[in-house]
Amino acid sequence: MKSIRAFVCGAGIVDAAGIGLEKTWEALQKERSCLKPLSLFPVSHIPAPPAGELNEPLPADGDLPRTHAMALLAAREALSTQSSVPGAIVLGGTTGGISTTETLIRDGVLQPEAYRHHGLGTVAACLARSLKCRGPVITVSTACASGATALKIALELIRRGQAGAVLAGGADSLSRLTYYGFHSLQLIDPAGARPLDAARRGLTVAEGAAFLLLVGAHEPPEGALAELVGAGLSCDAHHPAAPHPEGAGALDAMRRALADAEMDAAAVDYINLHGTGTLENDLAEARAVRALFAHPPPLSSIKGIFGHSLGAAGAVEAVVSVLCIARGFIPSNAGCRVPDGALGLQPVLRGRPGKVGAVLSNSFGFGGNNAALVFARPTGKARRSGHPEIMSFSVTGAACLTGAGPTDETLEAFSRGETLRGRPDLGTIRSDLSAASLRRLRRLPRMALILALAAGKAAGLPEGAGSPGGIYFGTGWGPLTETGDFLGQLFASKEQFASPMDFIGSVHNAPASQAAIGLKATGPNITATGGDYSFEQALYSAALITQEGEAPVLVMAADEHHDLLSPRLDPAGAGAGEPADGGAAFLLKPHGPAAGPRLVPAFLSYVPGDAEVLAPLIEALGGPEAIRDRFGALFAGIPASTRPRGESLLADFLRRTAFTGPVIDYRSITGEFAAAAAVAAALAVDTVRRGLLPPLPPVNKVTSLNGKGILLLGLGEYVTGIEVNR
Amino acid sequence: MEPFIEELKRKIIDTLELPDIRTEDIPTDGLLIGNDLGLDSIDVLELVMMIEKDYGVKIENREVGVQVFSSVRSLAAYVSEHSPGAGR
Repeated sequence: MKSIRAFVCGAGIVDAAGIGLEKTWEALQKERSCLKPLSLFPVSHIPAPPAGELNEPLPADGDLPRTHAMALLAAREALSTQSSVPGAIVLGGTTGGISTTETLIRDGVLQPEAYRHHGLGTVAACLARSLKCRGPVITVSTACASGATALKIALELIRRGQAGAVLAGGADSLSRLTYYGFHSLQLIDPAGARPLDAARRGLTVAEGAAFLLLVGAHEPPEGALAELVGAGLSCDAHHPAAPHPEGAGALDAMRRALADAEMDAAAVDYINLHGTGTLENDLAEARAVRALFAHPPPLSSIKGIFGHSLGAAGAVEAVVSVLCIARGFIPSNAGCRVPDGALGLQPVLRGRPGKVGAVLSNSFGFGGNNAALVFARPTGKARRSGHPEIMSFSVTGAACLTGAGPTDETLEAFSRGETLRGRPDLGTIRSDLSAASLRRLRRLPRMALILALAAGKAAGLPEGAGSPGGIYFGTGWGPLTETGDFLGQLFASKEQFASPMDFIGSVHNAPASQAAIGLKATGPNITATGGDYSFEQALYSAALITQEGEAPVLVMAADEHHDLLSPRLDPAGAGAGEPADGGAAFLLKPHGPAAGPRLVPAFLSYVPGDAEVLAPLIEALGGPEAIRDRFGALFAGIPASTRPRGESLLADFLRRTAFTGPVIDYRSITGEFAAAAAVAAALAVDTVRRGLLPPLPPVNKVTSLNGKGILLLGLGEYVTGIEVNR
Repeated sequence: MEPFIEELKRKIIDTLELPDIRTEDIPTDGLLIGNDLGLDSIDVLELVMMIEKDYGVKIENREVGVQVFSSVRSLAAYVSEHSPGAGR
């Protein structure tokens, strides 16, 4: 069977060179540095080091944060040649609306309404509303690899027939958090980034948004600019911030990308390096490149021109890679005068026109998250065969954490029909973990590590045995303790003091990186985030990325309650009264003989406006009759913030399917927090194993599932469906 | 100098939240990084912030940091020499 290929049919970009492809193209041609002293907000360092700040005003669009506004511009440019609406959106980013949020926090604003654009997932949601996109809308946060990671997910959505056209890329604006954060790490070059230069001192923080429109087809559509032929993800599992010194993870990501593209390293005509300009990154990346290429092709980092736009960078460089192929150009490594002899690489010092058949583009981030993309000229020749499908999993181990305690206590309380609401006391859980290993871990990474280890134990694995093939983590709000501590100290000191430890810990992917280090998991490591639908996005991502025959993967989600930030940021938790948090983790075996209940991510769709999504949901589940036959109970997740809409969707679903079994409104049991869906999945897995539903309202007595499974629905801003089958 | 060295050790323990470590467990002249304490470059940067906050002494780049944080004694000497009150 011929494989569906992903062709680039549109591109859009906003970066330090300005708004639109032609500004970026001109900066590349003229090798002109766009870095200049930061003017977006006053900084306490005089003189301010250069930044890659957008040099044009953004159109006023209500109170939309800068990231959202840039993303909208880049997305519209990417779609300007197409009349149809994309079937999916995948966005990579690290800070969402933080540039607005941090000002609100500094000024002591309390109203949750003011913070409604804070979440990382709100950027993609804003695009979906604006474009009226109904379908999978996924946000990934893998630090500086985010934009490239988003493109890998988009590629798999196309290959696995989940969408005909996908808008994918990244967006991150400048913010105090990242500016002072990198400063506290002493990773900012006061002279501006000089990647690969012998005198380099660090990176230059920047901002940007960039998108590609990928269209699925067997042959290149007219006007196709390039083809995304492969992508590879890996994790260093080495350190929360520093790269593996030998570039082991970087090498692995490049190898996986080339294998995915079914391409030899010798076919690569140009490497667009991650090349941040820090001593460690450039050295580790150079070692990885030299290990893979006996004679490296022309290569350069463009971060001396545009700076490092963090979560957007992978997408910015993907757009540049596409331009290099479509217009025949090899850009220079601007900023580098004397290449560092220790790197053993000869970067392109003057840009030049030339035919470019294939480009390898690297992106590496905090947490050891690595992504590499391979683009090629759109030819009639298909590189790979086969038509993979979206993966389903069997559960080999499940663990959870709620106000009732760890797994056994939670399941016990649930079986008695008792509440699980509240916050678990982490101090009493896993007291066997060494104090040194937990020293830097605040609440969320600690929960993630506890859950990750417990899922392995529940699968019967001895601790330290059998690293998972990949880690997929969902979190609605990320590490709030670290974020709150960082901003609290920054503003209390009038922007004099910023904690490097809090900064590193504040990134959404920090907990998953701790789990990777703890489990030595060097495969793909993805953090997905989209408010109350973060677990669903993580599971769906796992189903897209996981390959046949791969080792079991770890899928988990967790969120922490934070007294100061949760009431402002989390609309579902804000009005819920008693604070709750927790999460769940699953060790999942791809396909294969069912060792336990099966977890099938059947449906994930954003709901723009009042779009019809129940019909495709019911169809994805096999129709009303199949739903009645296969499921003995329905677990409905209706966040408090979207109650009326969720309840009306539920009533409509029950009417259309004529489902008459028990319906459990699970947030009344788990409490309101973004990762509640993960806990509900763990409860469903246990219930399906037992075959008996505990005495819960509205039935209030033990009910048999009659050998059937449980359907887990998310109903609100998204509509999601996860099957828990026997 | 010895009372100041003791004070710095106390601050290192508090700043980095080192569990079950007493001041006598931290070497005065031996290496601060890369020993049994398990400290790394991020801990050093966290200490850079503490030194600036509590003593008004800036350690602005990593080259200087490597020298200053080689031992608690070298840290004490650097802070004493560069603190705004020094020489008065």
